[in-house]
Amino acid sequence: MKDLIKQGLRLGSIFGVVIIFLILFGLTSTLSDILGEFVNLESRTRTGNPGGLMILFALLSLWAGSSASASDRSNWKSALVSGVSVSLIIGLFVAAFILLVGFLDSADVEMRDYLAQLDHLSVQFLLYGRSLIAGVLITFGIFLIFGILGALLAYWYEAKQAGEVIQKQVLVLKEKALDSKLAKQYKENPRSKWIGYGLLGLVVFITPQFLGKYWNYAMGTVGIYVLMGLGLNIVVGLAGLLDLGYVAFFAIGAYTAGLLTAPAPLPLQIGFWPVLIFSIVMAAFAGILLGIPVLRMRGDYLAIVTLGFGEIIRVLIRSDMLAPYVGGPQGIRDIAGPSLFGIAFSGKAYLYLIIIAILLIILFTNYLQNSKVGRAWMAMREDETVAQAMGINTLYYKLMAFATGAAFAGLGGALFAARNQYTGPADHTLMVSINVLSLLIVGGMGSIPGVIVGAFVLKGLPEILRELDLYRLLVFGGLLVFMMIIRPEGIWPAPRRRMELHEGELDVLPPEESLVGKEG
Amino acid sequence: MSILETRNVTKRFGGLSAVDNVTLQIPEGSIYSIIGPNGAGKTTLYNCITGFYPADEGDMLFNGKSLMGLSPDRITRLGISRTYQNIRLFPAMTALENILVGAHPQLKSNYVDAFLHTPRQRAEEKKALEDAQDLLNFVGLKGKGDLFARGLPYGEQRRLEMARALANKPKIILLDEPTAGMNPNESVTMMRFIQSLRDELGITILLIEHDMKVEMGISEFIYVLDFGQLIAKGTPGEIQKNPQVIESYLGRGAA
Amino acid sequence: MSETKPKKTTGRVNSFKIIQAIISVLFLAFLSWRLYNVISSGVYGPDTWVRFAISGLIIGSVYAVIAIGYTLVYGILFMINFAHGELMMIGAFSGYFVFEALKSIPVAATGMSFLDSYQIISVVLAFIVGMFMAALSGYFLEKIAYRPLRGAPRLIPLISAIGASIFLQNAAQVTFGPQRRTYTNPDALLRSQGWRIPIGGEEVILTYTGVLTFVLSILLLIGLYTLVMRTRYGRSMRAVAENKQTAALMGINVDRIISNTFIISGALGGAAGVMWGIHNGIIYHFVGFIPGIKAFTAAVLGGIGNIPGAMVGGLLLGIVESLGPAALGIDFQLKDVIAFSILVLILIFRPSGIVGEVLTEEKV
Repeated sequence: MKDLIKQGLRLGSIFGVVIIFLILFGLTSTLSDILGEFVNLESRTRTGNPGGLMILFALLSLWAGSSASASDRSNWKSALVSGVSVSLIIGLFVAAFILLVGFLDSADVEMRDYLAQLDHLSVQFLLYGRSLIAGVLITFGIFLIFGILGALLAYWYEAKQAGEVIQKQVLVLKEKALDSKLAKQYKENPRSKWIGYGLLGLVVFITPQFLGKYWNYAMGTVGIYVLMGLGLNIVVGLAGLLDLGYVAFFAIGAYTAGLLTAPAPLPLQIGFWPVLIFSIVMAAFAGILLGIPVLRMRGDYLAIVTLGFGEIIRVLIRSDMLAPYVGGPQGIRDIAGPSLFGIAFSGKAYLYLIIIAILLIILFTNYLQNSKVGRAWMAMREDETVAQAMGINTLYYKLMAFATGAAFAGLGGALFAARNQYTGPADHTLMVSINVLSLLIVGGMGSIPGVIVGAFVLKGLPEILRELDLYRLLVFGGLLVFMMIIRPEGIWPAPRRRMELHEGELDVLPPEESLVGKEG
Repeated sequence: MSILETRNVTKRFGGLSAVDNVTLQIPEGSIYSIIGPNGAGKTTLYNCITGFYPADEGDMLFNGKSLMGLSPDRITRLGISRTYQNIRLFPAMTALENILVGAHPQLKSNYVDAFLHTPRQRAEEKKALEDAQDLLNFVGLKGKGDLFARGLPYGEQRRLEMARALANKPKIILLDEPTAGMNPNESVTMMRFIQSLRDELGITILLIEHDMKVEMGISEFIYVLDFGQLIAKGTPGEIQKNPQVIESYLGRGAA
Repeated sequence: MSETKPKKTTGRVNSFKIIQAIISVLFLAFLSWRLYNVISSGVYGPDTWVRFAISGLIIGSVYAVIAIGYTLVYGILFMINFAHGELMMIGAFSGYFVFEALKSIPVAATGMSFLDSYQIISVVLAFIVGMFMAALSGYFLEKIAYRPLRGAPRLIPLISAIGASIFLQNAAQVTFGPQRRTYTNPDALLRSQGWRIPIGGEEVILTYTGVLTFVLSILLLIGLYTLVMRTRYGRSMRAVAENKQTAALMGINVDRIISNTFIISGALGGAAGVMWGIHNGIIYHFVGFIPGIKAFTAAVLGGIGNIPGAMVGGLLLGIVESLGPAALGIDFQLKDVIAFSILVLILIFRPSGIVGEVLTEEKV
């Protein structure tokens, strides 16, 4: 009994603190709006939907109650005890916080100056537009009732073993589907792989026709991130070199394209196609140039040096010193877009150009991955010392990985600059590097479909969830941590990576005792 | 003429000489052993020969050419393969991929070939895959090529590591306690296998063993190391009778 | 079968060293040439140089305090705590709120606010709250974002740290708002006030805030050094850094030590944040990021895992960063470029830092 209460108190305070932070972030307003809209409640305040807020609090306390009762669901009494203790604590935390905020607000303290989300209106919203006491009591009541309800529901669910029944049904359905004739035929037919690819290709090529201007642009951005993701996948995913300054190569690609095609600051105005090639070459060259000195470093140092390199490039392109040559903070305008046979690529046509680039890069990546080169990279990632003992010139292959990744980023940069017909320092912040690395991780390191999925999740989802715009990075940061804990291999992982991260180390491979130090 | 020769090789860590003035001569086509108690400097000597530690003094010759100052990958490309005492496969690569990595020096296609998937590269890759499959069969891992190295049982990992070393088509192979962790039966099988490498493929073998009995069976000549120094050399029969060797194995306290 | 034949016995180790030496000599020659030009042209008087040096020392001492946080965590977990700069930001905000709160409390006896009536207490309070909040955040950061990942491949906790960093920055942005805020220091610590020192016919102001920052930093560093090197607790910390398994066998509670390391490094970060606020005046949600990276540079510069090294590295980085642009006669916008170039150069030519790393072979 005592343990149950203790557990409930602990969980309750965690939930309480998290909810208080949600209020401080202002996420309660946004979420209540979404929930309110979902059940069609009319909104009465400007800063959020009070009905939606009640639903939000109710859902959160249901969750808290059911997870509090998870430790002991053997009888309804213990479920009740944990439900009561957890919901009491959450209720107290949140109600006390709202009471404090409401009191300060009624005393005309301008909290807004310090806590951006707590103005008079949002405090009114937290009180459901009622008086201080009524609002606080309603909140407390909701937490208490739904917390207990959650615990009891969870107990009932367990008692009926409803969960297992449903799980079993799902399993049976799944097996049936896998056993069906169609599935078998599909699996056994050697051509089915190509049919699948064909269908996928068809979808990819038709979709742009149905996209509006805005989505066309958004998808183009996703596509460019796919390109960069594929490049960084080679550096980090295959060769195991953590590069945090990947944006530098993107910037070199973009600026090369910009400087050579735009009328100012350099009056060159060379055509797009040769410049595209040149951008790729320049980026690859920069990759080698940076790689020669830094590739002898061990992992973490490499990360920080590449990060430093990215920052150097960014500071340089916006500095006044180089402004006459690269445009300074204003960047480069009027970058030429591509044209073929006199027809300029724009809108849909440009999206197709990006898609073609992606397909080409996927093809080359595949070739590399399944060759001597790809195997050398993987071997280096697994055990650099032994890779060298296998006759692999590790420095050369690291350089090649760096150059290849840089070349892909250069391609992405050039396409990006030519599409926007502009590029400036703001396009090349550290966030770009971090975004690309994150899409790689979210999607699944070392996996090509993973890169595509990751790019859609990271660059595509925020476009869909415009309402959450303010919280995009907040959610994204939290998601990264969460993902590393729950599913470090990503959404669509490469099989070998899943195994690496989930199978316990077999004791036949003791890493100690090796006389040759790992990672030099 | 000896295929591998070390001349007065010394390797110090701090003030300690892990390998002290060691001179070995391994004739082509022979099976030689280095034995000695733990910490005698056997593996350090291997690391010097394969280029992971630069030797402080002395010289090492492979077919009469010096190995001093060469990087480990260059040394491997000359035809010297090795295995590790505590198996070091690439755990998240398949058995076949492990062997293909071992065959790396044999593949002549370059980066551009790989990038563009040229016909030359494709043909070479196909051949390499066949060879790797043959090697897999040769070490008795038929049908296990697509399993991840980490998932294989201990004994099979040992044999896979051997296959990986052989994929380099070495002239000499340095084995570091190949029977560590095996029961007597398995050890005998392993020793027979090692002997067959020499007899069938003509590869010179250098063995490190900790346990005296095992290598006595197949070795033609034995070097004994203790505290980094060569304390005895001779045929198995001579070594068994050598009082200094017995002392170093039983411990100085007992003597 | 051999692809390449050994042609020469001199290894590439030697040739690399030769190239290295040539580049260093050329680089030094270039530096001296620029320096000679700048000094002989007499653009800057001696007072300017002293001013630069002083501001470099002060900012460097803040870097040093932050750098210790990196070094402590790296020494024990071998991970770059990417979110460490954000702990500094939390400390800076906490101190700001303390000052604001105290400013709003009137004291009847003096007729002024609490902040101006009891200035020493106010400053001490700001430091205590700032350090406490940052330490608390550090504790939870480890518990939530790093502890579940112990034993995972090195990349995984690093990504988690990047995520935590982004999360904390943006949490601060949405909670406190995106605007920049100005620290309201007590009267005695007005940022324009200080001792006036005549140098070369000009006056150089040695600000009170600067002196406070510098002295406090040195005290913190000495205190921490004593803690780690001279106490029983420090010994167990070092034991955990050396080998976790063995330490656990010796009866040391490894988890507790790691938690405490994050608490200590968080507290140092928080103190650095308050100092930053008091001395520089402006804080905002992104304030910890660049100092964080610079401080990591400082830690690497001095040799990671090495406490006096982080100190030397921090001071050196501060001085070079503030004297560098003037000495080389380049744009002051490029001081970050100088800082990062130093990082790259140090890692290439002396990867174990100036003072030397304290890492066992196992970690490398």
